[in-house]
Amino acid sequence: MLSSIPYTELRELARKDDCIQYELFFGPNFPGMHGNFGYILDVAGSTILRVRPNPGLLHRGFEKLMEQKLWFQNLSLIPRICVVDPDPNEVAYCGAIEKILGAEIPERAKFIRTITLEMSRMTSLLMGMGALGGMMGLYTVMYRMMDDREGLLSLFEWLTGARIYHIYNLPGGVRRDIPDGWTEKLEDVLKQLESNIVEWDRLMFENPVVQKRLSGIGPLTQEQAVNWGIGGPSLRATGFKADTRKDDPYAAYPYLDFEVPAVGGGDALARAVQVREEYILAISLIRQALKKLPEGPFKLDTGNPLKFIVPKGDAYNRVESSKGEYAYHVVSNGDLKPYRVSVRGPSLPGGLALCHEHLPGMLIDDVAIWMASLAICPPDFDR
Amino acid sequence: MTRNALVERIEAETGIESRPRYSNQIEASVPRERIISFLSFLKTIGFEHLSNITAIDWIQDSTMEVVYNVWSYSERIHITVKSPVPRGNPVSFTCMGLWPQGRVYEQELHEMFGISFQGNPTQGPLFLHNWKDIPPLRKDFDTEEYSRRAYGYLEEEQ
Repeated sequence: MLSSIPYTELRELARKDDCIQYELFFGPNFPGMHGNFGYILDVAGSTILRVRPNPGLLHRGFEKLMEQKLWFQNLSLIPRICVVDPDPNEVAYCGAIEKILGAEIPERAKFIRTITLEMSRMTSLLMGMGALGGMMGLYTVMYRMMDDREGLLSLFEWLTGARIYHIYNLPGGVRRDIPDGWTEKLEDVLKQLESNIVEWDRLMFENPVVQKRLSGIGPLTQEQAVNWGIGGPSLRATGFKADTRKDDPYAAYPYLDFEVPAVGGGDALARAVQVREEYILAISLIRQALKKLPEGPFKLDTGNPLKFIVPKGDAYNRVESSKGEYAYHVVSNGDLKPYRVSVRGPSLPGGLALCHEHLPGMLIDDVAIWMASLAICPPDFDR
Repeated sequence: MTRNALVERIEAETGIESRPRYSNQIEASVPRERIISFLSFLKTIGFEHLSNITAIDWIQDSTMEVVYNVWSYSERIHITVKSPVPRGNPVSFTCMGLWPQGRVYEQELHEMFGISFQGNPTQGPLFLHNWKDIPPLRKDFDTEEYSRRAYGYLEEEQ
């Protein structure tokens, strides 16, 4: 028995529900499930007794495939590991290569990376908040968030040529410079998005239904979150101030002035409020980066990408994504292709390990909310 | 504590040599018999966050390395701990007593590399379904040959 709640107590809980015990496939084909993943739940009435995660339905063998592709070819593969927040994958992979190379990318590239990373974070937080609203039946929240997200996706399309999989970062910098008029448009979009936060508050945070519905779901203390490997907004929602952007800085974050928000509380409501704070911080970081954006080259000359070789060595490089620590451990034996690439996704500790602790005793209705509040995104399990 | 002071402390208290690398990282190689006591020591000195456990198959050396990536929130230092296991007998020990999520990473390594972790009760399938071949992330697993055998797709094309 993996849960801390004794099985006998769970059976007692179930008995109160006065229903028979059965097995429920919570996903992969279920509206509340994020991606091709499922939990097989042993349920009595509406109360969960045991959980068996069922990953691998999305398995596409990214890590194996990366060993068979050129260093640059992998750039088109890695953003697909996280659909809603693809840029941290690119930066984590490129950063690991740059560490092995001992290369310092141009200052302008650092700032452009920071801007795109924060834009990607905003698109992901909007999607996450919308999903959380959807799980509570507040579909208006989802529609509003998707509408807000659109402005950022259009800007990504203008900058990179793609709305979702940008394939914009390269070892040594970024693929192309910022086009004329793009920064002005970004400022307009940020202004609009910032003014929409009032509407978020009306729809979500001042809504007593939301407050009652989210309170107490999936509580985590600081010690528990650290011990289970939970990071990002879910960790900070416990009041623990830790952020890779501050603690292990990369790109242009050392040049920016910011305080990491940590709301405290540790339950799903705290995590939702934390997302709001992170979103506001992202807007501030983009504005600062735009203001300080230096002139100069936007990438290093790394030569022919088909003959690009990384010297022998290995590096672990982490990036703070919208869900927590995204990291790549890259190993090179001095060949045209990586010897090994290992991806650390932020969802695995919550989705495959913490679920055994949190879900037993929970009602079926709360599972989707629990997943959305912890920003569990199954593609980074399977990779 | 500075990184160099940490490196010295680790060596003084465990006898394991480690070396600084990159701006804020440390690398150490630990024999498998001592891996759990070493990780346990790291946790007591502030390396609380297990980022992940992964493995590298050094097929030419007939060795596999189990790699633990651990972060210290207080010191803001990352340590990469590598523990070699022989390819012919890929057995190590579980760290789930230190970090509960280690259970899943170890289960994954068992499935993908064939490395067993003594003390971990969940060593069954995780991602793969009815897998009967060699563990697929090993270097001698040939994806193309497997596809041909399993699906016959490439042969038909030829």
